Amino acid sequence: MNLFRSFRRWSTDMGRVFRNEWSLVLGDVGVILFFFILPLAYPIVYTLIYNPEVVEKMPVAIVDNCRSAESREFAFKADACPAIKVYSFPADMAEARSQMAAGDIFGIIEIPSSYARDLATGQQTHIQFYAEMSLLLRYRSFLSALTDLQMELVGEQTAEKIEGHGLGSLAVSGMPVKSHSNFLGDTEQGFASFVIPGIVILILQQSMILGINMICGTSRERRRRNGGIDPKAVNGVSASATVWGKTLCYLVCYIPVTLYILRFIPEIFNLPHYGSPADYLLFIFPMLLASAFLGQTLNYFMKERESAFIIIVFTSVVFLFLSGLTWPRYAMSPLWLALGDLVPGVWGVEGFIRINSNAASLAETATAFKAMWILAAVYMLSAFWVTAYIDAREKRRATEHAVETDKIATH
Amino acid sequence: MTDTGFLAGVRREIRRMASRKMYIFGMVAVPVLMAVFFLSLLKPGLPLKVPTAVVDLDHSSMSRTVTRSLNALELIDISRKLESYDEALAGIRRGEIYGFFVIPDNFEKDALGGRTPTLEYYTNLTYFVPGTLSFKGFKTVAVSTAGSVVRASLVSLGVDPEQVGAMLQPIAIDNHPIGNPWLSYAIYLCPSFTFATFALMIMLMTVFSITMEIKNGTSVGWLATAKGRITVAVSSKLLTHTVVWFSIGLFISWLLWGWSHFPVNGSLGWLLAAVALLILACQAFGLFIASVVPNPRLAFSLTALFGILTFSFTGFSFPVQSMYGFLAVFSWLSPVRYFFMIYINEGLNGYPLFYSRMWYVALMLFPVVACSLLWRLKKACERPVYVP
Repeated sequence: MNLFRSFRRWSTDMGRVFRNEWSLVLGDVGVILFFFILPLAYPIVYTLIYNPEVVEKMPVAIVDNCRSAESREFAFKADACPAIKVYSFPADMAEARSQMAAGDIFGIIEIPSSYARDLATGQQTHIQFYAEMSLLLRYRSFLSALTDLQMELVGEQTAEKIEGHGLGSLAVSGMPVKSHSNFLGDTEQGFASFVIPGIVILILQQSMILGINMICGTSRERRRRNGGIDPKAVNGVSASATVWGKTLCYLVCYIPVTLYILRFIPEIFNLPHYGSPADYLLFIFPMLLASAFLGQTLNYFMKERESAFIIIVFTSVVFLFLSGLTWPRYAMSPLWLALGDLVPGVWGVEGFIRINSNAASLAETATAFKAMWILAAVYMLSAFWVTAYIDAREKRRATEHAVETDKIATH
Repeated sequence: MTDTGFLAGVRREIRRMASRKMYIFGMVAVPVLMAVFFLSLLKPGLPLKVPTAVVDLDHSSMSRTVTRSLNALELIDISRKLESYDEALAGIRRGEIYGFFVIPDNFEKDALGGRTPTLEYYTNLTYFVPGTLSFKGFKTVAVSTAGSVVRASLVSLGVDPEQVGAMLQPIAIDNHPIGNPWLSYAIYLCPSFTFATFALMIMLMTVFSITMEIKNGTSVGWLATAKGRITVAVSSKLLTHTVVWFSIGLFISWLLWGWSHFPVNGSLGWLLAAVALLILACQAFGLFIASVVPNPRLAFSLTALFGILTFSFTGFSFPVQSMYGFLAVFSWLSPVRYFFMIYINEGLNGYPLFYSRMWYVALMLFPVVACSLLWRLKKACERPVYVP
């Protein structure tokens, strides 16, 4: 009976914290910015940045040392590749290099003077390609365009030659073995399709953590002005009731936001969205929970309202890299792997991408799902501790401060 | 020389910086740790040995040869041998592999019998880097397998083996990636991301140190120390920071270009000059925001929101030239963009200074623009109002 009564008391406390937190969230423009406006706007901004998806019409210069019909055909076909646009035909490499330095072109194709003769005499001919390397994406697009171009030209040449050797059957099909490449997930090889599903998950986590810590910093400032007690908070309730009440409030705020980000953003921008909503919404729940608790754990560091900006903002870059989006996790050292394991969003990115882009089921993302539940449990405990610690510390500081002022007053 | 209050301002700022751990955290710990983070994370250069699988449905000597050539590649790790397409697809969904190579049933028989079997390979492009690496590996093996069958047939027909190579590959394209022949991700990403984080922290800390004066009402004392002159107040505060920032900037530069031996094909001196100008430009950026909106919340929000987007706008990974025009414009508002352009020219490509002249000028313009709004900041400092 006693247990039942204390539970009832705990839930009333929690309900009061929950209701109170709502007024704190909605009464603070800064928090509204992080909880609602940022998650609404950022996915759109990011998708628009990367929405052109593929790099097209990259300007190149062709240094044609051969000046024959064959080399002109090569230049013509290169220009026909969607990725490449022939910007100029410089007289020599020096001229081409200065065009590259001026930023007019990103690649130089040099056709040897022996090009036409080599092709006619059956010698292998070597075309040189110099790439500007500021962006690997550009280099990769050049490379795949040139490889396709090479295959096309080689196919024509080889078919003629092989036929000449009386291997007619080979000439018909070109090659005795064909190969076919299939892309899974991001089938269009687009940049937005690749990067956005990961980024949106980190937006969810980071915006929530920023908002939570802004609320906490503001509250601690109020405590310092009011003798260790925040008049706008529900005081005299247990740390666990406070943490759970707040967490429920944050989760409710994030239901519409999550639906919008995971369900509608991929559809609006026609990014890959093969997963079932039931799977990814269930999947993301422990991440939101763990983020809410992690946010309240980080409260430890928030001395004032603005601390969150300096302490939290740069971590978005760290988490982006730890998530394996840019640099895959299998190639990370144990230290960074372990650090990533501690971040709910890292698991969230991994699982959501697989559900969303590879149509994995919840069962197939079980490792990430379980990991996020474990993190939620761990961060729940640490959030309890931090909440109790901050309360005790601020009160102690206030009494020490009061004693000091008393001393000064009596002197 | 009359006392302008500059030195008093510097002493005041040093005391303020020493009194709060936040300054050590934001100015020293974060920039240095982030540099170490990127260097350590990307140290291997390329994430080789992509976990992949082979699905051999043929089990012939020819299919084993194909598997062996897949095994020989350093790009992929084909340690998993699976028995069906479904099994491999499930492996992709569970995140165990990033791609797989399927050798069809009756592959050897069909290849020798002229029935043209097809080698299918699948790459998961939801992870770009491992996806493209495994694609490259698979494609190489697929093409060379076809080539070796033709080679064998031609040689058996009496064609000179030396000629076969030229016959199969009459046109070869030799690639020369300038400045980064290893295609190293460390060289590609470390300098840009390290300095972008550095720039973000400079902007945030500048906003922090100015708006905290207004928030806590100490801005009146700040102005008084400078004898009421906002130029002296701002310069004594920010130039003190500049000294710290530049020491950190030098240390980061040493980590990248000294200790890690990242390429400096141009002049290191001009690169370091760009670091100095980047610092001044970012401080100016923070100063500008703090002058336009002296309210800490708004100033921080604007700086943080813009600062994080900088990582995308500056075109480290997706080129500015391919972005929509109305978004590409934003890239030119960021000091990091100009620094990136200078780094590309001076560090990676080693072009003469002439080609970077405009980027240096652009970085110098930031302080000029920021100074034009000092009168606004002065007003805010004289009557500090804090709106949470």
